[in-house]
Amino acid sequence: MAFVASCKPNIEPEKPSKGDGADFSSYVAVGNSLTAGYADGSLYRSGQENSYPAILAEQFKTVGGGIFRQPLLPGEYGYPSAKLVLGMHQGLCDSAASLSPIPYTGALDTVGSSTNIFNSSGPFNNMGIPGIRCIDFVIPGYGFLNPYAKRMFVSPTGSRPVDEVMVAKPTFFTLWIGSNDVLGYATSGGEQAPATLGGTNKISDVDQFNAAYDSVLSNLRRSGAQGVLLNIPDVTSIPFSTTIPAKGLTLTKNDANLLNNAYNALGGFIRFNEGANYFIIEDSTVPTKFRHIKDGEYILLSTPQDSIKCKGWGTKKPIPGRYVLTADEVAKIKTATAAFNNIIYLMARRENLAMVDMNAYLKTLQTGIIFNGASFNASFVSGGAFSLDGVHLTQRGYALVANQIIMAINNKYKATIPMVDVNKYKGIQFP
Amino acid sequence: MAIFNSQPITIITNQSCMKKQFLLMGSLLLSTAMAYGAAFQLNLQGVRQLAQGGTGTAVPWDASTIFYNPGGLSALKNVNAYGSVQFLSANTRYAETPAGSYTADSKAKTYTPFNFYVGGPVRYKSKLSLGLGVYTPFGTGIKWDDNWRGRYVIQDIQLQSIFFQPTVSYRFNDVISVGAGFVIATGNVKIQKAIPLQSNGQDGMAELKGNAMGYGYNIGVHLRANDNIQFGISYRSGVKMKVKNGAATFTVPSALASNFPYTSFKSDINLPQVVSVGIGVKVTERLGLQADANFVGWSSYDSLIFDYEKNTSALLDTRSPRRYKNTVILRVGGNYAIGNKWTAMLGAAYDQSPVRDGYLSPDLPDNNHIMATGGFVFKPNKKLAIMGVLEYVFTPVREGSLDEAQFSGRYQTKIFNPGIGLNYEF
Repeated sequence: MAFVASCKPNIEPEKPSKGDGADFSSYVAVGNSLTAGYADGSLYRSGQENSYPAILAEQFKTVGGGIFRQPLLPGEYGYPSAKLVLGMHQGLCDSAASLSPIPYTGALDTVGSSTNIFNSSGPFNNMGIPGIRCIDFVIPGYGFLNPYAKRMFVSPTGSRPVDEVMVAKPTFFTLWIGSNDVLGYATSGGEQAPATLGGTNKISDVDQFNAAYDSVLSNLRRSGAQGVLLNIPDVTSIPFSTTIPAKGLTLTKNDANLLNNAYNALGGFIRFNEGANYFIIEDSTVPTKFRHIKDGEYILLSTPQDSIKCKGWGTKKPIPGRYVLTADEVAKIKTATAAFNNIIYLMARRENLAMVDMNAYLKTLQTGIIFNGASFNASFVSGGAFSLDGVHLTQRGYALVANQIIMAINNKYKATIPMVDVNKYKGIQFP
Repeated sequence: MAIFNSQPITIITNQSCMKKQFLLMGSLLLSTAMAYGAAFQLNLQGVRQLAQGGTGTAVPWDASTIFYNPGGLSALKNVNAYGSVQFLSANTRYAETPAGSYTADSKAKTYTPFNFYVGGPVRYKSKLSLGLGVYTPFGTGIKWDDNWRGRYVIQDIQLQSIFFQPTVSYRFNDVISVGAGFVIATGNVKIQKAIPLQSNGQDGMAELKGNAMGYGYNIGVHLRANDNIQFGISYRSGVKMKVKNGAATFTVPSALASNFPYTSFKSDINLPQVVSVGIGVKVTERLGLQADANFVGWSSYDSLIFDYEKNTSALLDTRSPRRYKNTVILRVGGNYAIGNKWTAMLGAAYDQSPVRDGYLSPDLPDNNHIMATGGFVFKPNKKLAIMGVLEYVFTPVREGSLDEAQFSGRYQTKIFNPGIGLNYEF
């Protein structure tokens, strides 16, 4: 038998090591929707179960990681509204159905999710709160404002999020906050964004951001926890902004002529040609209030496509400003993103913590990356990394994020935490 | 904006860019995709040669010299008929790097490369000999679990070849003889891998099957310097195996089926040329020793191209770099006669891997081979030889990556390969 045994290969992988200086026994993930596992326009249980913090916690178990509690929803429908799935959809003016994101129509299995579950299943290690901004972390009673916070906080009516993240007594943390301090502005069209309670559609003040970030990080560091900071991606590089091309209007010669005839009276600043054309957008800053969109400006994925196809949006009527990011708005977004990321960079340096440059990583994703034979890029649907809302990631996308964090940890603490098999998780699901 | 509502503009329907935006799938079949496998030269074309480390260029033991050195055929005194079969089982394990707990073992399977040869002088003491060889010089196979980590690179690959080689050999005198064979090569290939397009958590799948044909030749010179020393040199040409009408079948989510039509494909695999030199020395009446070197022109395998008859935006032709390097194989072996009926044989060989770093694929995770071989010949009478061989191949653990698929890990392969054969001398 000994001889037979010697015919079998017997190599084993290296044993993981936690390296020097980090204690993974109580890992707490602080963040927003990206941390919660939000995907496809909603939060649902399997998304939470495969959030990047949950993926990380699984890997941390190989180096002494402890239990990882999440505020799991009861079902898959999506809370509060239905998640998106891919399906065959025929719009009002489509001659045939085509593959599109459509609302999930399965069982409404998230009833009762507004109930606070801290006592039954907390304290929570995944402190990802969809919608939360960096500057919200220091607001007392934030649980009143945010249904996700309300269901998971120990004291939703009185506490500040910055206190809530300490309840699970982190020995190690990841901190990925700040995206919503600019995202709300971007996804609702910049200056034309409708006003909201708390001004969530405005870009946060940089000084406020700095103070709130400092407060969160200092709290997390108070008892000596180690951790990783993640900076925020440029929202003009995600599919929500990039999917509908500015020059995506294709016209026949006849249609172009008809449009030109209609616009001629206005002095000729609107011109259409046969073939590819720039859409017409609303712009309240120019005297005519509308113009052709330019390269470097974005039509958002939220634009109702039926309105483009049936109601002449982009041709007969300008696409409303709340679906468009103009060059001025893009500049504001980029300036704010750079300022916030500079704060995060300086904080990481101050605290001597590892930082994952998610902004740079998502730019790498735009050119495409390959993992174990599967390719990913930043294209909508076909890219595989972004979920059907064009902002949040697929499970595989979140697993890619987890690997970036693991690499940063391994590098910082000379650890050998195993990388995640990204393809173990789900990508885009096709009908 | 009121003025626009009153304008009589026809509804613009030609906005195809909008309709199709979700279907711009890009090429989802990575070029990394399909690979025929690597150092798939088998070197198992004769039991006696294999038992002596694969040496055989210098010493024409029996009709199997049709493969090892066609020049040796006319050194045979009588017509020989030879048949042998190997029972090769290879086990490969993959282990994740740099750390973790994941390992995967290839599925156990026994391959049976075989050889038949018949040949000898056209009549007693004729200088002209004729022969035919049917043998399996190239082949590979490895099957991983369908859900393993490398499934988008390979799940299952099977490559077989059968060469037919009619051969003529001429003995100029007692010292020098030459031989040449024409090679008609047939083969088949089957490749299966997962495609990262999911429906309800299930991956898509690609399966490619095809038959291949090719032609080549095999020539050799045999020298008998004296009763105790022999030399051999042979050249086996490269063979371009052409798959002209393979069948590609894709199983993908139904919404994407039109992007992945059932289609035929074409592909070529350039099998390497091999130059062999050898020496055989009869040290004593009972003891013989041999040494061979093979120079294998693996650089012929530069890239692997799949040309699909039907292309779509998601199904483009693929070109996957292999960049094999030329290799040298060194072999030594010996035989010792025990009494009149038994001969014992031992040998060893060192076989370099043609696979460069960065090209280490789980479809054939190759490494340098160190082979130890042994065997016996039992001659119950003057005409019949019964032969047995056992080959054991050690491959050092190799760590590396297939860069184009970003798939890395450590591999270890162990090969256990017994075989039996018969030769009958008429």
